Amino acid sequence: MRDRGKRDLWICWWVFPVFYTLFGVIFVPLTRVMPPPRPDVTADQITAFFDAHSLTIKIGFGLLMVVIGGGSIANGLVAHQMKRMSISPVFAYGYIATLAVGGIPGCLFAGLAFLTATFRPDRDPQLIALLYDIALLSFIGSLGCFATQYLIFALAIFLDRNRILPNWMAYVSIWQVVTELMAAPVFIFRTGPFAWNGAISFYEGTAIFGVYIACLIALLRKAIERQPADERVPD
Amino acid sequence: MKPTAQSISLWLTLVFGAVLLVAFVLFPGFFPPMAPGMTAREVAAFYDQHTTMIRLSMITFNFCGIMLMPFFMVIVHQMKRMATPSQVFAYCYLSAAVSGATLFAIADLFWLVAAFRPERDPQLTLLLNDLAWITFTAPVGMIIAQNLCLALAILLDVNPRPVFPRWVAYFSLLTAAAMAPAACAAIVRTGPLAWNGVVSFWLRVGAYGAFVVVMFFVLRPVIRRQEAEQAVAPSALAEGTPA
Repeated sequence: MRDRGKRDLWICWWVFPVFYTLFGVIFVPLTRVMPPPRPDVTADQITAFFDAHSLTIKIGFGLLMVVIGGGSIANGLVAHQMKRMSISPVFAYGYIATLAVGGIPGCLFAGLAFLTATFRPDRDPQLIALLYDIALLSFIGSLGCFATQYLIFALAIFLDRNRILPNWMAYVSIWQVVTELMAAPVFIFRTGPFAWNGAISFYEGTAIFGVYIACLIALLRKAIERQPADERVPD
Repeated sequence: MKPTAQSISLWLTLVFGAVLLVAFVLFPGFFPPMAPGMTAREVAAFYDQHTTMIRLSMITFNFCGIMLMPFFMVIVHQMKRMATPSQVFAYCYLSAAVSGATLFAIADLFWLVAAFRPERDPQLTLLLNDLAWITFTAPVGMIIAQNLCLALAILLDVNPRPVFPRWVAYFSLLTAAAMAPAACAAIVRTGPLAWNGVVSFWLRVGAYGAFVVVMFFVLRPVIRRQEAEQAVAPSALAEGTPA
């Protein structure tokens, strides 16, 4: 077969920065989930929050409903690179599985809960507050799906002798496991550094996530560039 | 012909697809689809009046909905057989299919929880009903990603005898385009884009149903051909090779 190229890999790679840029636009300026609104507020204040940002929440999370599958495409690309490593495909399949689970409570559910809240602004404020808590606790507090993903990703890089990704990326990924652990207290505290808008639970975790995603995008690009066009990845 | 994992998966789709169609017709909330404009009291009265049929149809959806999963995995397996540069799109498809099916399972639970105590505070029944309809209708991104990956894989399949004919790629894109506007169902409460509207409900459900039916007939000859090739070269193309 002549010139098989690497077109499918490059298409998937481009989805990565586009998806995470949209992710940033949706979650930061539009829906105001990042940085998160306060947990220590009354139901009436929460209702006022939704009233103030209703339009941008609808635009942002409406868009998320359409583009969320970009995350699945990013998963597939990472899993493909993991399958090129000199290890069993267990971790590659595990990577797909953990993120296929995690994408629902860890990302999409925040959107569904916020959209349900803005859908009927005249709802009982206590119920609006319930949706607010569901959204923010599931978004910040879906720990295990991502901790498992980061753990097996790091282990795969450490064990790989083909050097598909550099060892230091494994340490960045281990840092991410730590940030998920540091976010565990969001279920207990409503104020302070361990609340869902806290310095440790949110800001530290998000800063490292930003570094992680930027490194991952750059390293995947390098990995695809170095990958021979006619390489046969074992089934 | 001996039954294989793939041919059984297609038969499961036929059987459970038919059951799902019956459940679809039986759910009182689909004919006509419940309006988002209904008040809490009206929604509560609806659940109270139709409790049995809502439970019966939603338990059927609960049991049979995910039974279509083997069908989507047949598509994953066929994508892995394509002469594309890599198998990356098959993995993307698998990931999106799992997340999409999970959303359906969650929506089904919201309907069933709402019907569990019809005497609940109407505000709570309304909330559960909203969550069910929004989760069922709006998150179209997973199926869009699936169909996009399938289409791209088909178009990049350089085999002189490709696994799927090229029109399947365009049909797949058309299905995704028909389902995409339903994302607006989480935003607007009236008109064709509302969750009971022509676009967000009938076009979306119709496009999805048509996709499953068409792919059923597309996959049948594909699987037969694969089995015939397998009979000639049993070791190389065997369905049972680790993939």
